[in-house]
Amino acid sequence: MKTKIFMIAQLLCVLTFATVLSSCEKDSRPEPKSVLKGRVVYDGQPVNVRSNGVQLEIWQRGYQLFTKIPVYVNQDGTFSASLFDGNYKLVRLPGNGPWLDNKDTIEVELRGTKELDVPVQPYFVFQNDTYSKGEGKVSATFNLKQLNTSRNLERVNLYIGKTTIVDPNNNDGNAQEVAANITDLTKPISLTVTLPAALAGRDYIYARIGVKTSGVGEMLFGAPQKVMLK
Amino acid sequence: MPKFSKYILVLAILILSGCAEEWLDRKPQNIILEEQVWNDSKMITGLLANYYDRLPAHTSLTTGWAEFAAYDEAMWSNNDDGRNNIVSYPFDRWRYWDYGLIRDINLAIENIGTYSTSLSEVQKTQFSAEFRFLRAFVYFELVKRMGGVPLVTQQLIYDYNGDPSYLQLPRSKEEAVYDFIASELDAIKEQLGNGGSNTRANKFTAMALKSRAMLYAGSIAKYNSLLPSPISTPGGEVGIPASRASDYYAKSLAASEEIINSGAYQLYKTNPDLGENFYDAITKKSANPEVILAQDFLVSKDKRHGFTYDNIARNVREDNLSSSSITPSLNLVEDFEYLDGTSGELKTRNAGNTDYIYYDNVQGVFANKDARLYGTVIYPGTSFRGIPVQIQAGVKVWNQATSSFQNVESNTLGSTYEDGGLLTGSSGPQRSQTEVTNSGFYLRKYVDQTAMSSTRGIRSDMWWIRFRLGEIYLNAGEAAFELGQTANALKYVNLVRERAGFGANSLKTLTLDRLKNERRVELAFEDHRVWDLIRWRTAHEVWNGNASNPDAVIYALYPYRVVRPGHATHGKYVFDKLVAPRFRAPRFFQMGNYYSSIEQIVIDNNPKIVRNPFH
Repeated sequence: MKTKIFMIAQLLCVLTFATVLSSCEKDSRPEPKSVLKGRVVYDGQPVNVRSNGVQLEIWQRGYQLFTKIPVYVNQDGTFSASLFDGNYKLVRLPGNGPWLDNKDTIEVELRGTKELDVPVQPYFVFQNDTYSKGEGKVSATFNLKQLNTSRNLERVNLYIGKTTIVDPNNNDGNAQEVAANITDLTKPISLTVTLPAALAGRDYIYARIGVKTSGVGEMLFGAPQKVMLK
Repeated sequence: MPKFSKYILVLAILILSGCAEEWLDRKPQNIILEEQVWNDSKMITGLLANYYDRLPAHTSLTTGWAEFAAYDEAMWSNNDDGRNNIVSYPFDRWRYWDYGLIRDINLAIENIGTYSTSLSEVQKTQFSAEFRFLRAFVYFELVKRMGGVPLVTQQLIYDYNGDPSYLQLPRSKEEAVYDFIASELDAIKEQLGNGGSNTRANKFTAMALKSRAMLYAGSIAKYNSLLPSPISTPGGEVGIPASRASDYYAKSLAASEEIINSGAYQLYKTNPDLGENFYDAITKKSANPEVILAQDFLVSKDKRHGFTYDNIARNVREDNLSSSSITPSLNLVEDFEYLDGTSGELKTRNAGNTDYIYYDNVQGVFANKDARLYGTVIYPGTSFRGIPVQIQAGVKVWNQATSSFQNVESNTLGSTYEDGGLLTGSSGPQRSQTEVTNSGFYLRKYVDQTAMSSTRGIRSDMWWIRFRLGEIYLNAGEAAFELGQTANALKYVNLVRERAGFGANSLKTLTLDRLKNERRVELAFEDHRVWDLIRWRTAHEVWNGNASNPDAVIYALYPYRVVRPGHATHGKYVFDKLVAPRFRAPRFFQMGNYYSSIEQIVIDNNPKIVRNPFH
């Protein structure tokens, strides 16, 4: 009797297990295999932004629930999303990135992998940026070009840090110049940041310049630059 | 046998049929019918109690209390470091969409009209008014977090025709919701009754809510428009035109003055010890003339909470676990001014910043501070429940060879140094240990002094104040200042400061920054800080996520005893200011945080709902 109960229990266990496994196979959908990759560009060059700050929206019509798929832009201006094949609409979310609002939709037909450049119109861009080290200091010199005059300059910053992720929220030191002190944009601007004690003994650091447009939440950046200290 | 059962069947049919009518007409004993509820004032009161209890707060003693440690008033010193390491606030952080409660209230208002037959007209009007007050309160909580929301004021009933679109109400304009709140409160204020109650709404409670709501609307109208790019939506669901600012400020001031001039409430001034008096003003539940509306608790009715258990200072705790969760920041402590009107920055270094200032005792640095500091924060050298709260980080030993101090700290609380004196206090602070302060301070406001209230077995019945006269004075001061009535504004603000130990008319001139600071210190830990920064549109500057911004980082104060035998400074106390060792990520408030995101399911169900900006 006892063995019989035991065997029934065993059988039940096996049955349950089998059911669980088989249902897994039946219910699950395949993961999305197509990839939409791209860059946010101005003038053919990627636009650098704060990591984890700026997003694009992807929408797909024709289904019952209309939900956006947020796609975060990496700090070097690239983005990527795994999606199912289909027709999508890509939107530059207003008030989000360091560029002019452009509510035009970009149609995306995704079959397999696709690369896409998303053009934007920044307010300012950097030109001729050079970085150099001094005695316990790191400097950057660059030109600031204003592309759109509908908004004013607020400030420029030089951020330094231990990794390539350098921005207002991730840095070990920064220097700032506010717009009031930058009268002539045709002349190069220099920023110098003193190395904090914690970084002084390192072989190298990363430096990155950023520009803040008045009334726009996010800053636009140059590419992070490795500066050898020794 | 079969024959016998046939008899039983016949018998049963006879018995049952005889009493069938009564049997089926019995009143259910486990269901309360609408007619019963709405004709019994006790049951309606019970229902009201439930709705009062469901009124939301972002941080109160029972709801989200841990989030007191997520901004700049305090940090988290208990286990887990989540609140010290918030990289950025998520967009749904302040989300609130409780249309369940709105529906319950709408239903109650309609059912009183439909079913109440034995209640008097006066009673019916009063209950309806009280439900409408609750609804206005909920709409205020909705609009301050989400912007304009659909104004639903009666039941929405689906008629099963297959098309629900007539139930899908769009969002109202933000200003329309504020206007609705104002007009509702004006309509019901004379009907509310409940005079003298501080747990149920009366005329002055309604005006208190109006005072706060109109002040919020006024400052959003003014300061949103001053942003380089105002936050708004094309349909006005978010953003109020600047032209409406003075109108809202005037309404707020009028509501505040109605309360102040009535004389129904007074600032609590019973205790001659001003620091204790401020603590009593918040925590004393009997004969407290200042409190306008509170959420009350009672141990004997088993309505209690664990706020004191979780937040009591380490060495006065009565249970063997928890304690020390919310520990106030040096940032807040330094915002309490000195009584001579100078900035509250603690003087720890000499004028040339070459050496420490040496104090004879550990509380010396806090002498002559705003009395509200004592009532809000337990700082070194003070006591709780008559027991000294020992706060000392360690000793500084003079090293003759290097001509500098060496820090000695211990991992054992309450340990002694080799000279026999105290090394590390029995309440810390400590750099890495949990359940002991990391910032060098403990919370006093709202922590219960009653014996055994910090044990898990008993817990506390400290109440949570939703409105008190102190806030109304500051609301009046700010509204008057914004309207250009500076003399009036000074009068109100100085009254509040006088209770804190400043002389009469201590302020002669007024700036908005002074008013902001006054709110910060008077209303700390009363669920105002986030909302104030949001309505002034300064949250993204104060908490900009930059590690070099002192406002975004939480600072600590570590006291040390000087060990330098034979020197004049031997045995004195010095203080180090430092970034709180367990604090990791600077506070970071993004533009998309000004209005919380609306949940996707809400938009799925009602496509007329437009999204908030940046989401």
